[in-house]
Amino acid sequence: MRIAIVTPYPPSAGSLNEYAFHFIRFLRQKPEVKEIFVLTDELPGDQAYPADTDWQPGTATLRIVPCWRFGALDNALRIARTARSLAPDIVLFNIQFASFGRSKPSAALGLLAPMMVRAAGLATIVLLHNIMETVDLKSAGFGGNPLVEGVIRAFGTVSTRILLRADLLAVTIPRYVEILEKKYGVSNVLLAPHGAFDEAPPPTFDAPPGPLQIMTFGKFGTYKKIEPLVAAFRLLQKVRQDLELVIAGTDSPNAPGYLEGVRQANADLQGLRFTGYVAEEDVPRIFQDASVVVFPYTSTTGSSGVLHQAGNYGRAVVLPQLGDLAELIAEEGYTGEFFTPDDPQSLADAMTRLLDDPERRRAMGTQNYLAACGLPMAEVVEWYLIHAANILAIRAARGQTSGRLPTFGHR
Amino acid sequence: MNLNLSEHIVRTVVVAPTERIDAFSAPGLRTALDQQLTNGAKRFVLDLSNVPFLDSAGMAVLVSLMKRARERGGDVRLVWPTEEAARRIIKLTKFDRVFSMSDTAEAALADF
Repeated sequence: MRIAIVTPYPPSAGSLNEYAFHFIRFLRQKPEVKEIFVLTDELPGDQAYPADTDWQPGTATLRIVPCWRFGALDNALRIARTARSLAPDIVLFNIQFASFGRSKPSAALGLLAPMMVRAAGLATIVLLHNIMETVDLKSAGFGGNPLVEGVIRAFGTVSTRILLRADLLAVTIPRYVEILEKKYGVSNVLLAPHGAFDEAPPPTFDAPPGPLQIMTFGKFGTYKKIEPLVAAFRLLQKVRQDLELVIAGTDSPNAPGYLEGVRQANADLQGLRFTGYVAEEDVPRIFQDASVVVFPYTSTTGSSGVLHQAGNYGRAVVLPQLGDLAELIAEEGYTGEFFTPDDPQSLADAMTRLLDDPERRRAMGTQNYLAACGLPMAEVVEWYLIHAANILAIRAARGQTSGRLPTFGHR
Repeated sequence: MNLNLSEHIVRTVVVAPTERIDAFSAPGLRTALDQQLTNGAKRFVLDLSNVPFLDSAGMAVLVSLMKRARERGGDVRLVWPTEEAARRIIKLTKFDRVFSMSDTAEAALADF
């Protein structure tokens, strides 16, 4: 099978780049996959994607094809043209609503790409990490006033209908399937869980020497806001001094300068550390050094890769009481301490319950590790291949050829 | 009349779990199924009618079994769980379109 994947891909800093990195790492190891094209965004300035040095005999070849630019208006057209010229067996999109641009026109126009690729006769699967129906637009930084929010929701509905023109649309949260099927009356939406990035060896659960680290990891500034976490850290410091708060990661592409603003506003705070971009090889250490991993989310936009990573490394977690995350916890077997979003005192209390109880941290870390082991990404990738093969078999039976717009639905 | 008679017996293993299949119990089920594969079985009926809950980790075990069974020339048939909490994940993942599904173990066996 020859597969094209439309996605940000490291060193691009685009959202979902890390998910793509791991997904492709496992995908290329599958014997039925012979060739992978990564249709990714062009890097700024003179930067270029590094040559593929990870190829090994028996694994799929990997070709990086930069063919779109974050914020451009013609991304869908360029992606469709490129996909058609490469003629893969299937095109997979790893996207969310703001994958193609910060502005509403560029974001919306980019989401036409799956429909255009399918109209070119290619089989398409869209992995959509968030759905507009559950996003808190104000928290995610895309709201402002009710009228604007209403317009964005309408665009979201239209965009979702367009995305549903793909052969299959995959989401990572069970409830998302039911919401989309009910609202849009479709049958081509499926659950494909996030999966754990690494099959890590059993972790050590003991805190390393030195101050206890509270760590948060991600791309910040839209729905991941660290101000409540910093405020909670100040509350904790009033009663104990053996703590360090580590902010690991970068600004969201939609919130440039956010972390620097927080850093400057808290220049007086002892024990606050910003790591900046965390290279892949440093990720294990970042998690292993943490006593508690905190998710300072005000809204969720799909499953959490960071939660699966925290599970991989056997960490205790502190989570906001948000519907999507609560369901994910119940569905996939994770556990955590919960706090009220945007409430520093509630967050401080939740962290205290773990920081004061090493046995609780160990038990939680163990359960999260077992949950992460339950569904490694290598198996999730297998699910995509099975569904892709199913789509291709159905298309072959229907005699669908390039240029025809196929009938709607998976079956 | 001289007749050359031969008898071909194709073994089908029926597995009927009765407890939750989730991230914590799935490894045990996987080990048991691996043992059957190692012993040469390649046709399976997974009777899920008495399974009270199935999550994505459990689903992964079933999908993995299907792939390996098919690689060996066999296959897997599933019997629908009666509990909605177990049926839900099969429907959400659309694996009811990939597996052949039956309402009873007898029907699943007859489907081979």
